[in-house]
Amino acid sequence: MKKYTVINTPVHNIDGIAKITGRAKYTFDITLPRMLQGKILRSSYSHAEILNIDTSKAERLRGVKTVLTGKDTLGKKQGIWRRFKELCDEEILARDKVRYIGEPVATVAAIDEDTAEEALDLIEVEYKPLPGVFEPLEAIKEGAPQLHEHAERNINVTRHIEWGDVDGGFQKADYVREDWFRCSSQAHACMETHCAVADYTPEGKLTVYTSSQSHYYIKVLLAEILGLRENDVRVISRYTGGGFGSKFELDSAQFCSSLLSMKLCLPVKIVLTREEEFTATKRRTPMFYYVRSGVKKDGTFLAKEARVFTEGGAYTAMGATALYLTGFFQSFPYVWPSYRYDGYRVYTNTAPTSAMRGFGAPQATFCAETQIDLIADELGMDPIEIRRKNGMYPNYEVPGQATIQSCGLDQCLDKIDKWIKSRGKLPPHRGIGIAAYGFMSGGIFNWFDTPYAFSSAVIQINIDGKVDLFVGSQDMGQGSNTTMAIICAEELGVKLEDIRLHMGDTENCPVDLGAWGSRETLMQGNAVKMAAAKAKQQILEFATAKLAPNIVYDLDIKDGWIHLIARPERGLSFYDIVKEAIRGKDGQPIIARGHYTPHRKGMISPAYSFGVQAIEADVDPDTGKITLKNCVTAHDCGQVINRLGVEGQLEGAIAMAAGYGFTEDLPMDEGKILNPNLVDYMLLRATEMPETEVMEVETYEPEGPFGAKEAGEGLTNPTAGALSNAVFHATGISIKNLPITPEKVFNALKEKKKK
Amino acid sequence: MKKKLLHLTVNEEYYELYISPKKLLVEILRDELGLTGTKRACNTGACGACTVLLDGAAVKSCSILAMQADGAKVTTVEGLADGAELTPLQQSFLDHGAFQCGFCTSGMLMSATAFLREDPAPKNIKEGIQGNICRCTGYNSILRAIKAVAEGKYKEEGR
Amino acid sequence: MSYQCPVCEKIWPDTMELARHVFGVGDQAHKDWVNSKGVNFIELLLLQTMEPGNKGYKILAEILDREAKKVD
Repeated sequence: MKKYTVINTPVHNIDGIAKITGRAKYTFDITLPRMLQGKILRSSYSHAEILNIDTSKAERLRGVKTVLTGKDTLGKKQGIWRRFKELCDEEILARDKVRYIGEPVATVAAIDEDTAEEALDLIEVEYKPLPGVFEPLEAIKEGAPQLHEHAERNINVTRHIEWGDVDGGFQKADYVREDWFRCSSQAHACMETHCAVADYTPEGKLTVYTSSQSHYYIKVLLAEILGLRENDVRVISRYTGGGFGSKFELDSAQFCSSLLSMKLCLPVKIVLTREEEFTATKRRTPMFYYVRSGVKKDGTFLAKEARVFTEGGAYTAMGATALYLTGFFQSFPYVWPSYRYDGYRVYTNTAPTSAMRGFGAPQATFCAETQIDLIADELGMDPIEIRRKNGMYPNYEVPGQATIQSCGLDQCLDKIDKWIKSRGKLPPHRGIGIAAYGFMSGGIFNWFDTPYAFSSAVIQINIDGKVDLFVGSQDMGQGSNTTMAIICAEELGVKLEDIRLHMGDTENCPVDLGAWGSRETLMQGNAVKMAAAKAKQQILEFATAKLAPNIVYDLDIKDGWIHLIARPERGLSFYDIVKEAIRGKDGQPIIARGHYTPHRKGMISPAYSFGVQAIEADVDPDTGKITLKNCVTAHDCGQVINRLGVEGQLEGAIAMAAGYGFTEDLPMDEGKILNPNLVDYMLLRATEMPETEVMEVETYEPEGPFGAKEAGEGLTNPTAGALSNAVFHATGISIKNLPITPEKVFNALKEKKKK
Repeated sequence: MKKKLLHLTVNEEYYELYISPKKLLVEILRDELGLTGTKRACNTGACGACTVLLDGAAVKSCSILAMQADGAKVTTVEGLADGAELTPLQQSFLDHGAFQCGFCTSGMLMSATAFLREDPAPKNIKEGIQGNICRCTGYNSILRAIKAVAEGKYKEEGR
Repeated sequence: MSYQCPVCEKIWPDTMELARHVFGVGDQAHKDWVNSKGVNFIELLLLQTMEPGNKGYKILAEILDREAKKVD
């Protein structure tokens, strides 16, 4: 494969020095002169009418500057699916009704946190409790309490995907099986909780520092809900302490701090406590899945139908996207001649469910991969072989949905097959389970209803050769800052240290939709590459004129050296040419723009990553406890751009996805989350991580910059399925109910012994 | 509550501060001294993001009242590098990409610094950062970075 | 003997397959037809999706056996 100068080399993260010396200032660290501290009063009822709120006692407390409620807002409902008004159903600061425990009802600004907390206790809210409903399968029944006036039977959104002759396919099948699965919720548990510092000044301008995955979305949503001009709002998000899907929608910290600041013309900071982070921010969508598959006795897939009811929580949020993606990725990464999916998202009186890394695909992949191993077992087939027989391949068209261009699935299966064989005979109570997966590299659908290109970039080349690169993308730890700098340096032909990146400020960065759906590398990367190519073109004009070579020679730039490609020793320095170019441009530096919006790329994404993961795990027959020994992943992300970034994303995804598979859960009692802290919420610690191995499979994706595609989210898809399959092969029991806790394994083993 | 006088050496600078005795050490470091490198990410002493060195030992600064550290020497992440000269551990973190969002990084560095000072050739590195939660990296890059230093790949005098 | 869908007139070899079709299409017309027969489309779907045993399909299949046109 082509060797690059900067791409796929282990360059340091360009934010590295700031982060390891403690210099990086997160929103959590921002203080402004005269800044007040804000706090939010939240509903302790899961479903209630708000009859009255008396803030007088709180207002009189010494040190309290103001207390606001829903009545002090414009009463607008907002939602991120702006194109569909009926899905914009959330006020954030509730006016008449609360629909989940934790919904904001009032907000306070005071001189310090203690005073603000004390003020919360003095606010008197008169509620009229209403009956609540907490499970989607209960909420959809006749007579269940209705959360929203417009949603009969609490049905929020439905989705349908179908191709081929499903019923005919089942008729031809030699073997049909149906299974029921329950996929749990999960908390993002970012290390930096949601927070914002809002600063409204008398000119009518609002600046909000916030921990965000999309400063553009936050700017627009804030402007709308506050009745401000879109560009009188400035959102700054230079460093974000984790996102994972939780930070691209408008949240209570941003909204309440802005409201308070607008009232007082003083900066107000709101930082959510860890408990609020668990109870009152959005979370992974729990799903109740029915999956039926029909196959031939040689393992050929014929027909699949899937039906899901998802627990929507109190508001839509990004739930509509999760509902579509789970249905689409339920068929991934295989060729199903016929497929039918019906999804129903149901409102419940619980914290809203929304986007979390994988976006419905981890749930779908868990169901699909668990079932495939059960089918393989029935047919006496090897799990690798049944997947190889039916796997997607380059240029496959998913009927009516997507064109798969690059696809390294087969090579991934090869690598995992080889690794499994190298493990030899396993000790007792140990099993290896695999799961195949794929994921999108950014979405094509404009549900936000933006008129802007999905990604844009601007480049300015200064007289000393330093390149200013302006991007709209957001780095929340996944490394997009470094990735964009790498792409720019490679395309322009300069060194990484020549790039000075500007991001995270809506006032001086171009628009990009943000870091979600694993879109930055492909979409922002394409925009950066385009801008760099245009800038390079301008440089080469001057260089060519100066060098005056025979017309048959073309030029390129590598590592700061502009040269004839056929005779690289003939050339001149980029840094010298830049000085001259400026004179030829009326004293103006070279500037170039790039952008990217997917056109005619199917229903979901321009490109898809692929992979296969294997988990080797021990299952203790006496306790049901699972210990992860090894986790090996063969991943096809096209061309690796940011090597340390991709490796980091893979290992991080394993930890998060393994947690989803067997340790993390959000148990609730009538809408009240029972473990809202980092002691009782069991995410993986260093001592629980298995040995991990990353095997890169390189393909070339025509849609992506230098052939690159996503490498951040897809890796979260396979682990729960690979884990359930490892347990199946170790013990013969199949757990279809996440998380796979020791209790479930123990009870299932007991049941098995009885039979 | 009457304020008390706190005597504290932080990163080799001596401070005398009048503070409320209710204040936690982490609050003094961040809010009074502006050393925001040390973070807070939970209210239950569970996550380790607030780890600093207190007289050489790694402690969770959210679990200590500032007055309990009266007269002590504290090192925060800002006190690791000497100007532009990073410690071997910091350099190793850079080389191994042992951070992503960076919010847990200060705590990780302080825990690992104390751990390696105690035992420069440790057998079980995982235990050294067991008290630090990271949601981004999956820990393995951090373990590789610490291991490289423990194996002497970053030989340096007097650190 | 085959069965004809009362809504869109597609032919199916037996009542279970016809039931699957009615659920699968799931548009307003098919939903309305089911709801007019003394049962509820959503309730039957819930039964089918919640637990093993094909309950939802079986109930609908019985109704279709009575109501659907039989074709040779």
